[in-house]
Amino acid sequence: MRLPQNSRAVAAIALAAVLTACNSSTSTTSTSAGSSGEPAAAGQTIKIGVDLPVSGADASIGIPTQNGAVLAVEEADKNGFAGGKFKLDTSLLDDAVQGKHDPAAGAQNVKTFIADSSVLAMVGPFNSNVAKAEIPLTNDAGLVQIAPSTTNDGLTIGDDAKKLRTAHPDVNTFFRVCTRDSRQGLALAQIAWQKLGYKKAFIIDDNETYGKGLADVFDASFKQLGGTVLGHEHTTANQQDFKALLTKAASLHPDVVFYGGTTSTGGGLVRKQMADAGLGKTPYLGGDGISDDEFEKVAGDSANGSYMTVAAPDASKLPSAKAFIAAYTARFKSNVGPYSANAYTAAKIEIAAIEKAINDAGGKMPTRADVLKYVAATKDFDSPIGKVGFDANGDTTSPILTLLEVTGGKKVTIEVITLKS
Amino acid sequence: MRPAALVADLFRTSRGRTVLAFAAAIALPFIGRNGGFTNFLADAGAFVLLALGLNIVVGFAGLLDLGYAAFFAIGSYAFAMLASPQFGIHIPFWLCLFVASGIAAVFGILLGAPTLRLRGDYLAIVTLGFGEIVPQTFLNLSQWTGGPNGIGSLDQPAIGAYKFGFDALPYYFMVLGLIAFAVWVANNLRNSRLGRAWMAIREDELAAAHMGINTTTTKLAAFAMGASFSGLAGCALASKLQLVSPDQFGFNVSVYILAMLVLGGMGNIPGVIVGSLILSALDRFILPQGTNFLHGFGLNVDLTGSRYLIYGVILVMMMLFRPEGLIPSRQRKAELHAGEGDKGVAAQEQALYTEVVH
Amino acid sequence: MTLFLQQVINGLSLGGIYALIALGYTMVYGIIELINFAHGDVYTLGTFFSLAILALLGVTGIVSGPMLIVVVVVTILGAMLLCGLTGVVIERLAYRRLRNAPKLAPLITAVGMSFILENLMQYWKGPSPVAFPQVIPNPAFAIGAVTIEAKQMMVILLAIVLMIVLQTFVRHSRLGKAMRATAQDKDAAQLMGIDINTTIALTFLIGSALAGAAGFVSGVYYGSTWFLNGFAAGLKAFTAAVLGGIGNIAGAMLGGFLIGLIEALTTQFISDQWANVVVFSVLVLVLIFRPTGLLGESLPNKV
Repeated sequence: MRLPQNSRAVAAIALAAVLTACNSSTSTTSTSAGSSGEPAAAGQTIKIGVDLPVSGADASIGIPTQNGAVLAVEEADKNGFAGGKFKLDTSLLDDAVQGKHDPAAGAQNVKTFIADSSVLAMVGPFNSNVAKAEIPLTNDAGLVQIAPSTTNDGLTIGDDAKKLRTAHPDVNTFFRVCTRDSRQGLALAQIAWQKLGYKKAFIIDDNETYGKGLADVFDASFKQLGGTVLGHEHTTANQQDFKALLTKAASLHPDVVFYGGTTSTGGGLVRKQMADAGLGKTPYLGGDGISDDEFEKVAGDSANGSYMTVAAPDASKLPSAKAFIAAYTARFKSNVGPYSANAYTAAKIEIAAIEKAINDAGGKMPTRADVLKYVAATKDFDSPIGKVGFDANGDTTSPILTLLEVTGGKKVTIEVITLKS
Repeated sequence: MRPAALVADLFRTSRGRTVLAFAAAIALPFIGRNGGFTNFLADAGAFVLLALGLNIVVGFAGLLDLGYAAFFAIGSYAFAMLASPQFGIHIPFWLCLFVASGIAAVFGILLGAPTLRLRGDYLAIVTLGFGEIVPQTFLNLSQWTGGPNGIGSLDQPAIGAYKFGFDALPYYFMVLGLIAFAVWVANNLRNSRLGRAWMAIREDELAAAHMGINTTTTKLAAFAMGASFSGLAGCALASKLQLVSPDQFGFNVSVYILAMLVLGGMGNIPGVIVGSLILSALDRFILPQGTNFLHGFGLNVDLTGSRYLIYGVILVMMMLFRPEGLIPSRQRKAELHAGEGDKGVAAQEQALYTEVVH
Repeated sequence: MTLFLQQVINGLSLGGIYALIALGYTMVYGIIELINFAHGDVYTLGTFFSLAILALLGVTGIVSGPMLIVVVVVTILGAMLLCGLTGVVIERLAYRRLRNAPKLAPLITAVGMSFILENLMQYWKGPSPVAFPQVIPNPAFAIGAVTIEAKQMMVILLAIVLMIVLQTFVRHSRLGKAMRATAQDKDAAQLMGIDINTTIALTFLIGSALAGAAGFVSGVYYGSTWFLNGFAAGLKAFTAAVLGGIGNIAGAMLGGFLIGLIEALTTQFISDQWANVVVFSVLVLVLIFRPTGLLGESLPNKV
């Protein structure tokens, strides 16, 4: 076996050389690995890392979210970021491996951001289980991250959250602009029981971290309020045919069908197929995952009679929201996704924090710790999703939840709810 | 011995070259000096382990396994359940390596048993079926497995008082050690009676059975050994990531590992390692960084979205033009090109027949 | 009882689509013993082609009157033709060279082909699900306490009709005879003067055309399509082909309906999240205990 062994050694060394060459092109500054915030010459680039699933099945919701963050960075860079002393850019990485969001890929991306000293903040991830892999790392490195859509309670509160911050238990680097499952799920249960008067619910979720989390909270809260949960089923990934499931639901005569999940995992299709199964008159209730325009497109005429909540004020009444949607559609020639505004807001908060930190550093490259400090101190930040601030755990203090109903093919605001914290 | 001769020996003898390769591997993270790069190396190394495991099943024994991710899932979840707050069990890491490996091997036998009487492609389909059943089952049994959230806060390895922590470097060296162990085991297996039995059933199962080889135990041994490697990889990756979740074990991962074998050279250990490193580099490094690189030039191209296209093209091209892989074993090359001789047979006979008639 | 029957109807319609896809799988496997992984993606291409044709015809909703028949016929035939051609091209490019290679090679190539098709489709229509026009009016008919929609009847009938057409073709036409001969023994068929290259290409043409028809039907039935539909549907359709007896045309249809029924009934009596596990367990059990399937014949093990 002489020949292959020889090639093996040569190949290994050649591969090492190639990889090292690749690798050195990613460390954009002259500083060595891991260190952050050494003062460098002006004219440097500051980057915001964006880690989202943008390929394969998750792409339909990941790409619009990424676009939101990119838009914020591009706008800031064009409009004189930090008085022109620094160029602002994004570092876009994909955490979908083989088409599905992958915690290991997310961890890899975060490590890449940490090693790149021009990255002072990051937006992401999208999924709660990826966040579980990333929070210990950002906590260890002191890199601030704001997530647009990870709603799992255990990321910011409770024992689970403590276990993720073992490196520096007194420091929090993880923030989110979306509402926790326990708040949104509880609010939805109250809406269903008190406001809309439903007594019996059939719950469907997509068996993913967001959808199941929200549905589980709804399930428990609805029962606690006195309602009956006729059934709680989970769909399979990429499922297209829900007729059998909906026929089963119909046979139990629910007052409402609750969907935990997003349009891309089946939220629109389930609604569409409800009519065929005899549930055409039954209302449909869900969270922010079905608050995008895709929902009406996929569900078509059957979208009417659906209710959903969004953790943001009425977009049609907020001028910053209108401006955002206009800018987004002009830039990307497509509709905004349910979390585009969230990602945009997250990036803007980080940009504002970086600018303040640059001021502190007297026009020089700021430290990650400084950026983190300003992000954590965010209060009443104006954005397309309303006024945003963070509490001590990293959760949004914004107590607004808007209830929308689809009538006449469009979403209409029914009520604006202020959540008790 | 004179130094010049010593150095020459390093390149000439196979043992010397192995030493060189490992020395290069150990030095690699220090050349990179980059946390992201070291993390990539650690993950890539774990996938090398997986590829070596699949190599035993597909490369040595010729059993086409399209659902290898199922064993990877079993190994990872076994570790997660035995070394985390999930059930409050905390088996020490180094012992857990053996335990998880053993559990994976047992399931290798359980899942391999139904395939014993099946030939080539049917066997592939059954393994594919298991590849779908296992992760979905882990997802569904949420009281034990955490459902879509998986199991988190897994124990990190520790040597005495030194805990591995969040830096990827110690994990990389651990993985390197596991690879060395795996390569040693695989090499010895291949050169043993069992290895020759595998080769025999790979070439012609019926003939092998007639020569007295117990195809049942031979095949089961292949599944068991292959699965055990995935147990090792599962422990390494899970402890490093601190998390195990059902998203990580889909069909695409099985194909990804298979593609490593196809690219590098099935049945050939160095080939498998190289193939695995190339695909890992492509997937976790070149494509994402390439996108960033082009982004810096203002080209808003997203290479990562073309992942599948690139893998698909690699698979198709390799199988069409170089099925034995980049670094083939002479054996496999002969086997895989055997069919090309037959092209002319029917035509020749036809010509003969018509000649005779006329 | 009503619920059970209703689920049976759901299962048969779902199964009808699997049956149409399974027909193509079984034909190709019967003739060159290749599991064409890309077949599921050709099915998805069928919906995409149908979308394009419908857009050309300016159809955005329900079509009424005699125009309906024209639209349906044109779209189905168009999708079938385009998919058939795709299948022939794939065979020529990727599989022909590997006809005599060990099974591993064409199988892996097929997986690669599947990835390529999926990515191309993602480029074409984007990563999100796409709405499909309704095309046919969909009144529901009540049979006792059970209701069946026009769409469901269409799917079931089409599957049966196409199966019969295919079966007749294979049994009674010259081309069909050539296919059967090639399936039985490639070299002997060649010796008897059959051009196996053309025969195999034709098999792919017909099989892929059927996938195209399945694509149109599925688009109308679900009202939407997505670039990744083909993978899951393809896998289950293959299970159906195996269940019915690989290489057996009636078996493919039977297997398709059975798998659809199993899925629907599992959802009803156990739960949705276990449906796939049950289906794939059926696959495994059938392959272990009766690998020739329900209608297949036992083939002697060639030495």
